[in-house]
Amino acid sequence: MKFISRFCSVLLIGAASLLASPAYADEKEAENCLREKIWSGYEGGWAVRTATTITLEEEAHRVFLVTLYEGNEYKFMVCGDKDSNDLDIVLHNATGEELARDSDQSREPLIEFKAKETQTYYIAVYASSISEEAEGTGIAFAVTYK
Amino acid sequence: MKRYGYLALVLLLGCGDSDPAEKKDPATKQEKKVFKLDINNINPSNVKEIALVPSPAEMQKALNRAGLQSKLGDLALSEKSISMNTDNKDQLAIRCGVVLAELVLTVKTAPKPKMLAHLESLKQGFTKLGAGEKFLKTIDTMTSNIKTDAKSRDDLLRDMDQLAGIMVPELEKELGKWVVPLVQAGSWLKGANLVAGAINEEQKYDSATRLLKQPQVVDYFLKYVQREGTKKAPDEIVQKLEFTLLNLKKIASKETLSQADVKAIQSDTTEVLLLL
Repeated sequence: MKFISRFCSVLLIGAASLLASPAYADEKEAENCLREKIWSGYEGGWAVRTATTITLEEEAHRVFLVTLYEGNEYKFMVCGDKDSNDLDIVLHNATGEELARDSDQSREPLIEFKAKETQTYYIAVYASSISEEAEGTGIAFAVTYK
Repeated sequence: MKRYGYLALVLLLGCGDSDPAEKKDPATKQEKKVFKLDINNINPSNVKEIALVPSPAEMQKALNRAGLQSKLGDLALSEKSISMNTDNKDQLAIRCGVVLAELVLTVKTAPKPKMLAHLESLKQGFTKLGAGEKFLKTIDTMTSNIKTDAKSRDDLLRDMDQLAGIMVPELEKELGKWVVPLVQAGSWLKGANLVAGAINEEQKYDSATRLLKQPQVVDYFLKYVQREGTKKAPDEIVQKLEFTLLNLKKIASKETLSQADVKAIQSDTTEVLLLL
C-alpha cells in the first residue's frame, strides 16, 4: 500500500511537470502594444524619450528614475502582455511625496503629468495582478513628452 | 510531446482521489492591494535608470517653455563632424551619443549630405562597438530613406527618436551595461553645451537652474565613467570627461545656478566636445 502511494506521488510530480506548460512573459507583445501608442502620440505632438521592457512577477515592482523639466508635459505609459490582469503606475517626487497614481483595473495604465520643477522623479510600475498560470508578465514602459 | 502530455494526464487522473492542486478562487481573492513606495528604502536591484536622461529634443522644448528663442538645431548644425577613428570603446560610445544628439536636433533642417555623413559615422561607431545586424540595418534603412527622399522630415524625426530612445536602450542586452549610459552621456553633454550656449547668448540666467541643474544625471554618468574592473587603458578624452562631470556635479549641488555657473558649464563641455 505504502509502495503504491509512493509510486503515485512520484508519478504525480512527473506528470505535473510534463503537463505544466509554463507561461513565459511576453515582452514582445507588450512592446508592440506600447509602440502603437507611442507612434499615435506623434500626431498629438508627443515624442518618445525612452521605451524599455521588463518582466515582473505578481506584486513585484520596478522603479524608474526620470528627470523631468519644469513646464514640459509628460506621459508615462505601460502595456502588459496577455498575462497582465492589472498593472499600476505611481509617480513620486524626489522627496518621496506621491504626485499621481493610475490604479484602475487595467493592463495599460497611463499617467499624464506636467512638471512644476526640474528634478528627478520616481515612477513605480507595479504588477498588481497577473494570470494564475503565469510566473511573470512582460511589461513595456515608455516616457513621452511634449 | 503532446503524446507524453496525454499519458501524464491519464496517470494523474488514475492516481488521485484527492483534490486537485489548490486554485485561487476569484470570488475569495482579497481586495486590491494598494502599492506604496518608500523612496528611502528602495532595493537597488529594483531601480532602472535607463529613462533618467532627457533627450536633446526634450531640452529644446524645455528651453522654449522657459522663454528662450534659440533653436538648438541651428546651433548644432555648424559643428564639425565627429570622427569614429578610435578603438577606445568608451570614447566610441560618447562619440556616438554626440552624433545622435546632432542628428535628432537637426533632422528637420540639416542638408542631406550632413545627415548622411552623420549616419555613416554613427554606423561606423556602433559597428566598432559590436552592435547587431538589426541595429545596423535600421541605420542603413534611414540612410536609404534620406537618399531617396522616401520620407518626410517629420517621419525621419520619428525614426531618429526610435533609434535614440528605443533601439539604443535595447543595446544594453547585447553590448553590456556601460555602453548605453556613455552614449546617453555624449548626447546629454552635447545638449547641455548647446543649452548653456543659448542661455549665455540670450542672457536668460534666471532659467539656468530649471534647464541645467540635474545632479542625478551627472552622478549616473560618473558611475559608468569611473567604473572599475574593466581593462580600459587610461584615455585622455575619458579622463577629461570625468573631470568635466566632477565640475558639473559641484555646480549642480548649488541651490541655484548663476551666470558664472552657466559660463563654466559651456566652457567645460566645449572642451570635451572639441577633443572628439
